[in-house]
Amino acid sequence: MNPDVNPSRTRQEAEPTSGSAQAPVWLFVLVAVLAFWGMGFLDNYGGGFDPRVYEPYSARTEVERDQPSTRGRERFNAGRLAFLQYCAPCHMETGLGNPANNVPPLVHSEWALAEPPNRLIRIVLNGLRGPVKVDGKDFNSDGMLPWRDTITDDEIIARILTYVRGNGEWGHNASEITAEQVARIRDETKARAVQWTVDELLKVSEK
Amino acid sequence: MNQGPLIFLGVFFALALSWFGLVFEPQLQLGNAQQATNVVNPTQLYPQMRPGQARQGLDVYRSLGCAACHSQQVGQTGRTYDVTLTDAGTNRAEVIAALLKVKPGSNTAEVEKLAAGPMPQTILKNVPRAVADAAVAKLEPTGAKAEVKIIPTGPDITRGWGKRRSVAEDFLFDQPVMLGSQRAGPDLADVGSRLPDANWHLLHLYNPQILLKKSVMPPYRFLFEKRKVGREPAPEALKFSGEFAPERGYEIVPTDNARQLVAYLLSLRADAVIFETPITVARPPAASTNAPAAAATNAPAK
Amino acid sequence: MVLFAFAAVWLVAASVFGLITSLKFHAPNLLAACPWFTYGRVQPAQLNALVYGFAAQAALGAALWMIARLGRTPLLQPGYIVLGAILWNLGVKIGVFGILIGDTTGYEWLEMPRYASPILFLAYSMIGIPALLTFHHRREPTLYVSQWFLLAALFWFPWIYSTAHLLLVFFPVRGVLQAVVDWWFIGNLTTIWFGFIGLAAIFYFLPRLTERPLHSNYLALVAFWTLALFGGWGGIQHGAPLPAWMPSLSTVFTVLTVVPLIAIAINFKKTFAGASANLKENLPLRFVAFGAVAYLLAGALNIADSLPQVNQVTRFTFFTSARTQLFLYGFFGMTMLGAIYYIVPQLIQKDWPSGALFRLHFRGAVFGIIVCVVSLLLGGVVQGMSLNNANVPFADVTKSSLHFLRMSTLGDLGIAIGNFALALNFGWLLVRCCRECCVPIVAAAAKLETAEVAR
Repeated sequence: MNPDVNPSRTRQEAEPTSGSAQAPVWLFVLVAVLAFWGMGFLDNYGGGFDPRVYEPYSARTEVERDQPSTRGRERFNAGRLAFLQYCAPCHMETGLGNPANNVPPLVHSEWALAEPPNRLIRIVLNGLRGPVKVDGKDFNSDGMLPWRDTITDDEIIARILTYVRGNGEWGHNASEITAEQVARIRDETKARAVQWTVDELLKVSEK
Repeated sequence: MNQGPLIFLGVFFALALSWFGLVFEPQLQLGNAQQATNVVNPTQLYPQMRPGQARQGLDVYRSLGCAACHSQQVGQTGRTYDVTLTDAGTNRAEVIAALLKVKPGSNTAEVEKLAAGPMPQTILKNVPRAVADAAVAKLEPTGAKAEVKIIPTGPDITRGWGKRRSVAEDFLFDQPVMLGSQRAGPDLADVGSRLPDANWHLLHLYNPQILLKKSVMPPYRFLFEKRKVGREPAPEALKFSGEFAPERGYEIVPTDNARQLVAYLLSLRADAVIFETPITVARPPAASTNAPAAAATNAPAK
Repeated sequence: MVLFAFAAVWLVAASVFGLITSLKFHAPNLLAACPWFTYGRVQPAQLNALVYGFAAQAALGAALWMIARLGRTPLLQPGYIVLGAILWNLGVKIGVFGILIGDTTGYEWLEMPRYASPILFLAYSMIGIPALLTFHHRREPTLYVSQWFLLAALFWFPWIYSTAHLLLVFFPVRGVLQAVVDWWFIGNLTTIWFGFIGLAAIFYFLPRLTERPLHSNYLALVAFWTLALFGGWGGIQHGAPLPAWMPSLSTVFTVLTVVPLIAIAINFKKTFAGASANLKENLPLRFVAFGAVAYLLAGALNIADSLPQVNQVTRFTFFTSARTQLFLYGFFGMTMLGAIYYIVPQLIQKDWPSGALFRLHFRGAVFGIIVCVVSLLLGGVVQGMSLNNANVPFADVTKSSLHFLRMSTLGDLGIAIGNFALALNFGWLLVRCCRECCVPIVAAAAKLETAEVAR
């Protein structure tokens, strides 16, 4: 029999209607089960909804653990506490500084990340005065305080600088600083009592 | 459900949900991404904007639709850890004892060779992080120095398509971002470090079968100009060997588009090490303590 | 009607492009001299022609018809709609042309250049607003299932289309976010927009052509809301350079779409049970039934593909193109074709001139789709497994899937033949229609003139 190419022309069907069979209950149970599965899946593969966690990592702590300067995590954390105590009042907890008050940022600061960090340690020990260019912006500070006499423990300074240089949230991954490095520079500059200026610092050779 | 407005509201809500989740939230997280610090060279931010020719090449790439066959994203399925001994220290006996504990199943002779041999020596291979950390913790008190090496793994990486996975930072400045969804051709995210020879790329674009006989990539002859050789062959003319060369007296010269495209391809690298992609690479040696102030450190320098 | 005619034309154009792209895989030198036809341009041209030229117009045509019919009211403002259709076609023509000359935007499924998309948007509003008005003025207060889907789809398209264009073309977001928005758009366009309109058509025609009621309103309700909520999150792939949570979220919601899939499957099966006799008699029903099966298959593949373990093998392979083919051609295309074959005679009160061409189309399409999809699915899996095996040099990876590609070209040929058959049938029908309507008018006018002259 020849299939009817144009069925509609011969019979006019009514518009479709829908029946009222019940939706099966197990379908809703399935939704619940899948939602539960989904939550488990997101736990394992969701990276904690952190924008810096990519597969195959499942948590920010894992990524941080694999960063090069994470040996000495306790130093890093202790350094953070000391940073908050001494440095954050001016340089802010975010490390972004206070441009209105001529406080330069530490984030992406080439001075902070310099390798080796001799100039950085000098700045911390004796402070900084005068115009300085940080990350492309100019600052002219009346003076960063010297910390030489306030923080006499070199390990604390070393920890603070380790924190600043290794802070993953700021995108920093520079080398750690040891107390010996700080002690050596403290010794070299023990005669100095005034703040550094940028010109003087630049004359300091990298040692 | 007979109310039109009810459907409208419901639909609006449903669409808004997915928009919030997949458009707005990512924008909040990544929308203002800035350059990241390069782990290996902390003073240089990553990524850098592509040089001018490469940016024009991006446009040629887009216009020719290269993304239809080539992807630009390296994947990573896991990571593995090695422990290497970098310094055996002075207390040899303790080091050997520690090494024996760290490497169960090895005998004293092997371990002594490790401690004596030229540094660095790989002690453990392909171990989980916890094991690697424990090994380092056992070795440190003895005075020896050991390092944990992080090695990303995955088929793309094993193929040499990249040393680590691609992440959002890699595409920060590109417009449009063409990640590609097919691999009829190899992945191009790291092609600049894999194939750094401009000539190779030019030849490949002109006729892929010169370099890869089984290639299904079409020849892009229209990116080149065939012209008569002048007094001397032009320096930028393609160098052929044998059967693919044009007839005598003619040379094939790349057009601007070809040059830009190749510049773009050469600029495609995915090897910078940043926070999101931990991988142990050899660090460049730090400036020696006796060297005069090097320009590598502080930007304010001359 | 106009929409359908244009849709048929674009279908042919898309199949021609499709053939060319498919052939290029094993004959890379084909048309290589001309930059217009380089694979990178022809493939997006084919996709856009298929999606915006054929699928969107068929969708709008079917949607308008169903809204009018189910509301028991004639279409309002048909003039605007026709104008909108013409404008839409102009936009697609300009867009495809733009892609071929190299002005592609670079975003998948949105390759039409920025000068073409506002035209499409304007055209859509000229079609969509009358559709809404028609819906609003319906005389039948009870809403049938299809109407929910259609109403939702009418709103959905302009929202996602405008969002995608604003965030990608006019005020581009930064970096890899562009890929996220692009994938979000693709997921919404396929799963929701095409899915809803296709489902509306199946929910309409399956009961109507088998003359039985749809099995369950409640199930359809569940399917509608779960699909609306879960369907828009799919599309973000697991290897992408994105933080881990984005592809994972996509996967979770895509897996959740198994619920509407099951609900729809039950509905289809129970409605259709025992009605297979109708298939022999009723050719449009065959198309729609094929589309229904293809929908379920495509949905299942989508869910499987979103799981990271499966995706590890299938990503970047022809598997994903096969899935898209199955969805666009197998489900949506066939359903719309069934709708076209049913609706057109009703609209112009004439029969299709050739039953043979009709059957040729059906057979060609079925053969083509099955061959194409199956070969690409298998080829994709083979390709994926070779890609994951680093010991296989890349040249061999492509070679391993070449046989499957050749088969898929054969499939493309089948589809193309079928589409040509439709175009012929349609053209013939139009000619007959015009001849019958216009000729008497012309003749009458001529008679009037001669009568006047005679006086």
